[in-house]
Amino acid sequence: MVASDDAGPGVTTRRRHTARWVAGVALVVGAALVALLATSPPQTVTEVDTPLVGQSAPAISGPTLAGGSFALGSLRGRWTVVNFFASWCAPCQQEQPDLVAFAYAHRSPGDAALVGVVFDDASSTARSFMRSTGATWPAVVDAGGQIALDYGVRGPPETFIVSPEGTVVAHFDGPMTNASLDYWLNRAQGGRG
Amino acid sequence: MNAALGHSGVLLSLAASVMGVVVIAYGLARSRPALARTGRIYAALVLLGAIVATVAMERALITHDFSLAFVAANNSRSTPLLYTITGMWSALAGSILLWGLILAGYIAAMVWRFRRQGADPLVAWATLVTLVVAAFFFGLMAGPADPFRTVAGAVPANGLGPNVLLQDNALVAFHPPILYLGFVGFTIPFAFAIASLITGRIGEGWQLATRRWTLFAWAFLTVGIVLGAWWSYQVLGWGGFWAWDPVENASFLPWLCATAYLHSVLVQERRGLLRVWNLSLVIATFSLTILGTFLTRSGVIASVHAFSDSDIGPLLLGFFGVVMATGVGLIAWRGDRLRSPGGIDSVLSREGAFLVNNLLFVAFAFVVLLGTVFPLLYEAFRGQQVTVGAPYFNAMTLPIGLALLLLMSIGPALPWRKTTTSTLRDRLAVPAWVGAIVIVACVAGGVRGLGPLVAFGLGGFAAAANVRQLVLSARGAHRSGAGVWRGLVGRANGGMVVHLGVVVIAVALAAATSFGHRSEVTLRPGQVASSDGHRITFEGLTQIRTPARTATEAIVLVDGRGPLLPALSQFGANTEEVGTPAIDSSLEDDVYLTVDALPVKANGPVTIGVTVQPLVVWLWGGGLLLVLGSALAAVPGKRRRPTDPVSAPVPAVETGDGSSGSGDATGASRPVLRRARPVVESGESGESGDDKPAQEPVPAGSP
Repeated sequence: MVASDDAGPGVTTRRRHTARWVAGVALVVGAALVALLATSPPQTVTEVDTPLVGQSAPAISGPTLAGGSFALGSLRGRWTVVNFFASWCAPCQQEQPDLVAFAYAHRSPGDAALVGVVFDDASSTARSFMRSTGATWPAVVDAGGQIALDYGVRGPPETFIVSPEGTVVAHFDGPMTNASLDYWLNRAQGGRG
Repeated sequence: MNAALGHSGVLLSLAASVMGVVVIAYGLARSRPALARTGRIYAALVLLGAIVATVAMERALITHDFSLAFVAANNSRSTPLLYTITGMWSALAGSILLWGLILAGYIAAMVWRFRRQGADPLVAWATLVTLVVAAFFFGLMAGPADPFRTVAGAVPANGLGPNVLLQDNALVAFHPPILYLGFVGFTIPFAFAIASLITGRIGEGWQLATRRWTLFAWAFLTVGIVLGAWWSYQVLGWGGFWAWDPVENASFLPWLCATAYLHSVLVQERRGLLRVWNLSLVIATFSLTILGTFLTRSGVIASVHAFSDSDIGPLLLGFFGVVMATGVGLIAWRGDRLRSPGGIDSVLSREGAFLVNNLLFVAFAFVVLLGTVFPLLYEAFRGQQVTVGAPYFNAMTLPIGLALLLLMSIGPALPWRKTTTSTLRDRLAVPAWVGAIVIVACVAGGVRGLGPLVAFGLGGFAAAANVRQLVLSARGAHRSGAGVWRGLVGRANGGMVVHLGVVVIAVALAAATSFGHRSEVTLRPGQVASSDGHRITFEGLTQIRTPARTATEAIVLVDGRGPLLPALSQFGANTEEVGTPAIDSSLEDDVYLTVDALPVKANGPVTIGVTVQPLVVWLWGGGLLLVLGSALAAVPGKRRRPTDPVSAPVPAVETGDGSSGSGDATGASRPVLRRARPVVESGESGESGDDKPAQEPVPAGSP
C-alpha cells in the first residue's frame, strides 16, 4: 500500500531508481488489491430440498438473547426469515452484516421479519456476537437444541423462509446475502400470485 | 421544495467543481495565471452549493418532509430533535452530503489561506486536485447516492426513524462529524503533495506549510476514533470498545499513516531528509481514507456499520484505484530525482528514532490492513470463508505497540544527528527508574502476567521521559523570563502531552484487555450477589414510557451506589428491543451492566450481565490528553518563524544531484535560481540541522 522511498539509513548519494522500483511494486500490489476487491466472488448459498419445505414451520419459542422472549406464532401474517447461527462459525460472521442490512431495510411494520436461533453456542458469546455486530433482531436461545432438531439443521448457517401462513417455503445452506434474501423472498411472494 | 433546493445545491457544487477543474487546467496549460487563480471563485461556489444542500436536508428532516426517501427512511414524527438533526448522517446518502460539506469547507479555507499565492502554479494545481475530489463526491450525490431522491408513489404519513442503535446516545451528534473532519482534512495535504510532485517543486517547504493541516485533521481523526470507541462501549452493550471491526480499522489505517507522517516530516524540516517518503505517506493516508470509505460503504467486508450497505462501492473502488495510481505514478516519475542527498548519520539520533518510529507505524498499518483484507484474499485463493478475529490483531499489534512505547521513551531524549551513550544515560536514568518502580509496585500490588507488566513498566518509562521533557522546557521558558506556560505550548511540547495521552491509553488498554472479566448473575428483587469484588444489588424492575422510548429497566446498585439502570429498550413502535447498558465508572474500574434475560413470570429472577474492566476511564482521559496536546501544539511556540513557503519555482534538477532536466509539466516560468528555504536545500552539509534557528523549542537539545 505504502509507496515508499528508500527510508533505510543507508540512503546514499549515488543515483538509484529506488523510488521507481518501490513505486512499481506498490502499484502492482495496489492493482492486485483493487482487482481482488472488485472481483471478490459473491458468497455462495445453495437452496436445499428438505422434507420440511411445504410443511408447516415447527414452533420456535423461548427466551431471546436480548433478555425478552419470543414465539414464532407472533409473526404469523408476516414473511419471516429464520436464521440458525453461532458466533464460532466463520460463514455466520460473514453473513451477519448482510443480515443487519436486510433487517434494517425491512424494518417497516408488516415487512419481512428476521429471527435468529442460536445453534450450539453459549448465550454469553452469542449475545456479544449479536451486540458487537449491531444486530437488533430477536435471537432465540435453543436450550437442548430441540428447535434445530425440529428443523433438521446440521451446521450453521442455515436459513429458512417461512410464509405468512406459517409454511416453510425455502431452506438454504450457507451464508446468505442481503441481495439473495431479497431475491428468494420476492420469488416466494411472486410464486403465490 | 426541499428536494428542488437540495438538488440545486448539489448540482451547483458539482458544476462549480467541474468548471473549476477545467478552467484551472486550461489556465495552467496555457500559462495564464489569471485563469489559474480563479479557483477561489469555484471553491466559494462549491461551498455555497454544499451549504444550500445541507440546509435543505436539515430543513426536510426537521419539518418531517417524508416526500424525500431519505427522510422517510431515517426520520419519524416521534424522533427527538437531536436525532432528527443527526439523522443526516445516520445513513449513506446523508453521510456523503456531510462529507461534501466538510470537503467544501476545507477547500474554501485552503484557497483563503493561500489567497495571496493564488497564481502560483503549485497552489493552482493543489486547488485543481481538491476540486477533482469534490467533483467525485458531488457526482456521487448527483447520481447513485442522491440524498434528495423523492419517494415513489404516495408520501408516507410517517417515516421509519433512524436505526435504533443511533437514537440512544448523544455521541452520534459528535462522532461522525468529527471523524469526517479528520478523514476529509487529509485531502488538503494530499492535494499539495500531488501538486508538488507535478510541479517538481518538492524542496520548497510546501509540505511544511501543509503540515498544520495534517495536524488539524489528525487531531480530529484521533478524537473521532476515541469517540467511536466510546459510543461502541456506551451503546452496543457487549462491554467492549474496540472490535477490530473493518470499519474501525478503516479509520485506524489513515491514522497510523498520518501519525508516521507527523513524525517524519520533522526530519524533513530539520535535516531535509525523507522528502519522497513523506510525500508517499501523505498520499497513502488519503488513499486509505478512500479505501476505508469503500470498505465501509460497499458491504464487501463484514462490519458493524453494515446498515449503510449500498451500491456506490464500485465507484469508490475505482476512485481509490485512480488516486493510488496517480500518487504512485507521480512518485515513480519524480521520486528518484527529488530524493534528498545525504543520509542519517547514526541510528542513535533523533532522526534515527523517527525512522524506527516510521517503520513501526508502517508495519502496524500493514498488519491491520492484512488482517482486514485477509478474508478476501483467502476466499479468492482457497475458496473458503474465514474471519480474522481479535486474537490475530492483538497478537500482532501487541509487540509493535510495546516497541512504540519504548521508542516514545527514548526518542524525545535523543538529540539530532548523533549522541553518546553517556548523554543517553544521563537523560534516561530517571525515567528508567520510574519504569522499574512501576513494575515493582505492580507486582507488589498483585498484578501478574508478562504482557501487562511490560506494558505498565514501559508506560511508566515513557510517561516519565515525556514529563521530563516538559519540565525541562517549562524551566527553560521560566529562566528566559517568558513564563512557564511558554514551555508547554508549541509543537514539541504539545507533542509530549499527546505522548502522555497515548501512554495513558496504552496502559488502559493493557489493563482492560488483560484483567477484564465477564460474568452473569441471576437475581430476584432484593437479592445481592458478588461479582469480581463488587456487590451487585438488584432492587426491581420498572417500566419507562416516553414518546421516543419504551423500556424495561432493572434497578441495580453497585457497592451501594446507584441506581444504575440497565434496560431493554424499544425506540418507537414496531422495532426490536435492544439492550441498553448502564455503567458504573471509577478511576479504578468500570462495572458494566446489561440486562441479559428478563423474568418469564412476575417477580421471577433477572439475569444481569456484569463486566468488570479496570482502568477503562483512563481510555477517555487519555483521549482528552490527546485533544489537549493537539491544542497546545497548535499554539505557536516561541522562536517560531512565520511559515511562508512562497518562492520562485525551483526546478526539480536543482534539488537533486544535477541529473537531466525535468519534464516540468506546469509550463511555469523557468528556473529562477533563488534558494527558497535553507531548511530543505541544505543538502547533506550536516551542520544545517543544527545551526539554523530551531523552529520550535527543542528541549532535548538544550538541557
